[in-house]
Amino acid sequence: MSALTVRGLIARYGDKTILKGVDLTVEPGEVRVILGGSGCGKSTLMKSCVGLKEPDGGRVTMLGQELSALGEKEQRNLLTRIGVLFQYGALLGSISIGENVALPLREHTDLPEDLIQEMVRLKLALVELSPAEHLLPSELSGGMRKRAALARAMALDPELLFCDEPGAGLDPLTSAELDDLLLRLRDRFGMAIVVVTHELLSIQKITDKALMLSDGLVIADGTLDELKDNDHPEVQAFFKRQAAGEMRGPKTALELLGGRTGLTR
Amino acid sequence: MSTAAEISLSSAADGVVLSLSGPLRRAVVPELTKALRDAPKGQLTLDLAGVTTMDSAIVATLIRAWRDRAGSLVLGAMSSDAERALAMFRVAENPPEAPKPANTVEALGGAVYGSREAVVDFLQLAADTTFAVFRALRHPRSMRWGAIADQSIDIGSRAFGIIGLITFLVGLTIAFQSAHQLQQFGAAIYVANLTGVSMLREMAPLMCAILVAGRSGSSIAAEIATMQVSEEIDALKVMGIDPIDFLAVPRILAITMMVPLLTVMADMLGILGGVLVGVFYLDIAPTAFINQMLSAVATWDLVSGLIKSVVFAFGIGLIGLHYGFKVRGGASEVGRTTTASVVASIFFIIVADCIFSVLFYVAI
Repeated sequence: MSALTVRGLIARYGDKTILKGVDLTVEPGEVRVILGGSGCGKSTLMKSCVGLKEPDGGRVTMLGQELSALGEKEQRNLLTRIGVLFQYGALLGSISIGENVALPLREHTDLPEDLIQEMVRLKLALVELSPAEHLLPSELSGGMRKRAALARAMALDPELLFCDEPGAGLDPLTSAELDDLLLRLRDRFGMAIVVVTHELLSIQKITDKALMLSDGLVIADGTLDELKDNDHPEVQAFFKRQAAGEMRGPKTALELLGGRTGLTR
Repeated sequence: MSTAAEISLSSAADGVVLSLSGPLRRAVVPELTKALRDAPKGQLTLDLAGVTTMDSAIVATLIRAWRDRAGSLVLGAMSSDAERALAMFRVAENPPEAPKPANTVEALGGAVYGSREAVVDFLQLAADTTFAVFRALRHPRSMRWGAIADQSIDIGSRAFGIIGLITFLVGLTIAFQSAHQLQQFGAAIYVANLTGVSMLREMAPLMCAILVAGRSGSSIAAEIATMQVSEEIDALKVMGIDPIDFLAVPRILAITMMVPLLTVMADMLGILGGVLVGVFYLDIAPTAFINQMLSAVATWDLVSGLIKSVVFAFGIGLIGLHYGFKVRGGASEVGRTTTASVVASIFFIIVADCIFSVLFYVAI
């Protein structure tokens, strides 16, 4: 069974169609990277998968179940089997890091309080944040906050983990550490990990398979090598870090005023 | 190479030539503008051969002149510096027009349409929250007692001082103002009736609600809005935690419990203010004043004030939550939303108070 299957997904905001029929399959134990430039719909794809946005067409199946077709209780059960790492962590600012990690455990399990405390410490140790247990999110650096958010996403040992731009706003070193951490988690727990990003360095490091979106459509799908051989101009441009085509713009002031280049040379 | 900018006009066979030379920077824009304006109509040739530097302000000035003269501006000789400056900037022949602001009818239509959506959203939230509150009340074991206690301390205990002081002063002022009028008829003792009834039925619930709207309604809106823009609400949803249960229910329960309690305290302190005026200003014996007051007020006066305060509290809480949850965008929206929620809360309180006051006298 695939960890995540998306078939013909359509998503709209108002009159604007962001996703125009996207297909995606993620197998357990693989890191699946969703690539694309700004505004191509990759964040919308993630939001539609985890139920923050109702699909306007098509189906999303996580761990064999379709979220939007489930009742309230089954929805909650399915959500406890996935984890989401938000771009800026989205830790609750009013409670400590430890409390944040404990939150899903308190809400969804009947485990005794001392066991919850122990589990919180396990998860914090996993992301190397043990000393930060009693600090507030605002007292941490950006990279630490993201690792704490990852610990919270891991609280219920999810089978499927979504990460929205894990490297955004981090320095290259911290970002690389986070990538290592994701790979370790995949290897140890066999999780399927979906990563939305546009950072080339990180893509080259973590990708098992990638999916590239452009203007709401899939333009490439496969391993990194397959993508590098793909001759779609946008895919090529992305991997060679070129702007797509010359800067197309209006006339230069020189042309506007009727001057010719090389007039005086 | 000259060190200062020079601008000179001369005649040539096919029209007029404007010669520019030296470093052309922002500072010469007024001079250049004047020269371009004063040049006679017809073809104007620009001689830029002696230009050593040219900044974007000069390029913009030349482009403006080209537009003003409908294209009758041509480039003659030019230095490589001038050429480089002109080739660097791109310019649209017909710049895009700024969107026209909607006219009054359109703006009105948009506002009506928008407010319809907001009303639907608000009613949805009110229904969801009410349902969730009753569900929580039926299952007291699942209630978030910790969160309710935290909120109650914030909304109730911390407001104790300021609300007490303000209602005490209001009671004192009402008594003092009415004392002056009633003394003229030798009816000073009726100050007791007036203070008692007006505090219980009107002033205490109203002042309490307005202060709580400013203190706690705003903080509910700001807190929820901040959580909304930093994706914390989304994070709760994907963790399978209903934001209504987790955030709305404790706040609504706390505010609807605390505001009536604050109102009772406000009743007492307001009346104390009245008693002080009666005793020290009107020289009425304390027992006489209090007996007079007790004969004037009925239990219903107290109860009707408390009914009002419960409704006010529920409204303040819902309005704060509504504005908080509906915020989109960045940090600046949080501030605007908070302001809007306080204005809406106070408006709601005044309108509801008016309706209740009439209803309680007419119907009951």
